[in-house]
Amino acid sequence: MAGLSPSERRLQKELMSLMKEPPPGMEVDSDKAEQNLNLWTIHMKGAEGTLYDGEEFQLQFKFGPKYPFDSPEVTFIGNNIPVHPHVYSNGHICLSILTDDWSPALSVQSVCLSIVSMLSSCKEKKRPPDNTFYVKTCNKNPKKTKWWYHDDSV
Amino acid sequence: MGNCLKGSSTDDLSPLRNAETTSETTTSEQPWIPYREVNPGGPIFYPSPGISCSVNQLSEEDQVKIAKKLGFIQHLPTGTYDGCKKNRECVICMIEFIVGDPVRYLPCLHIYHKKCIDAWLMRSFTCPSCMEPVDAALLTSYETK
Ligand SMILES: [Zn+2]
Ligand SMILES: [Zn+2]
Repeated sequence: MAGLSPSERRLQKELMSLMKEPPPGMEVDSDKAEQNLNLWTIHMKGAEGTLYDGEEFQLQFKFGPKYPFDSPEVTFIGNNIPVHPHVYSNGHICLSILTDDWSPALSVQSVCLSIVSMLSSCKEKKRPPDNTFYVKTCNKNPKKTKWWYHDDSV
Repeated sequence: MGNCLKGSSTDDLSPLRNAETTSETTTSEQPWIPYREVNPGGPIFYPSPGISCSVNQLSEEDQVKIAKKLGFIQHLPTGTYDGCKKNRECVICMIEFIVGDPVRYLPCLHIYHKKCIDAWLMRSFTCPSCMEPVDAALLTSYETK
């Protein structure tokens, strides 16, 4: 692994462990990630017994050169964006660990697990109340949104 | 029910990317910055999490803040990794410690490579593992032990 920056070395390690021992219901597109270490796609299945059982989603992770000091940019992509009070129809996710509460001890795997648990605890499938306005006006990068995390219980 | 209020952030940082090269304002030891910016500007600092700029664009107030941060970080105990089995890996770079690696101890007793944790502490005074604040009060109690 010579010639890699610390950030690349860490991503390489995370990729290996995700490929070897993927968390249940998740699969990283390893070909894509190996081509471009800074852009990963993760296929995710809705957990059994939840409102998302049987659905499949795709999560995109974009890493900057300062990962893991900077959080990755994480969005849902593809045709099926989960209908959830913290997920906008453009794929942006309102989850504090992706911005304010990020820590370099978090990893792709722990972010994925948080997102699965956020989906799993949902009791009613609906978009955030301000979805239409947000999607029209927001920056393409969800990290540029100054989120106010009002409620972590949903 | 969750309602994520927010406003679009107005501080687009892109102009900072074209920063002119800077002159060093400090002669003391610079923190090791593992993740270099793409721009050729001088050292990059983080007045607050997520906001980075090179040193010539900082207000005096920010420079004082940074100097304080640096001074504070330097007071946290350091050492070399002694092979302790409890901490095997630095969670920031995800590389296993090797006996003799320079490490820094936080008051919560989590340890990291010195260069890894210093870069994080410039952004946030929290322990990445337990989110325990690494504040001055904790520091003094540590020192007097
Ligand atoms: Zn390290
Ligand atoms: Zn700790």
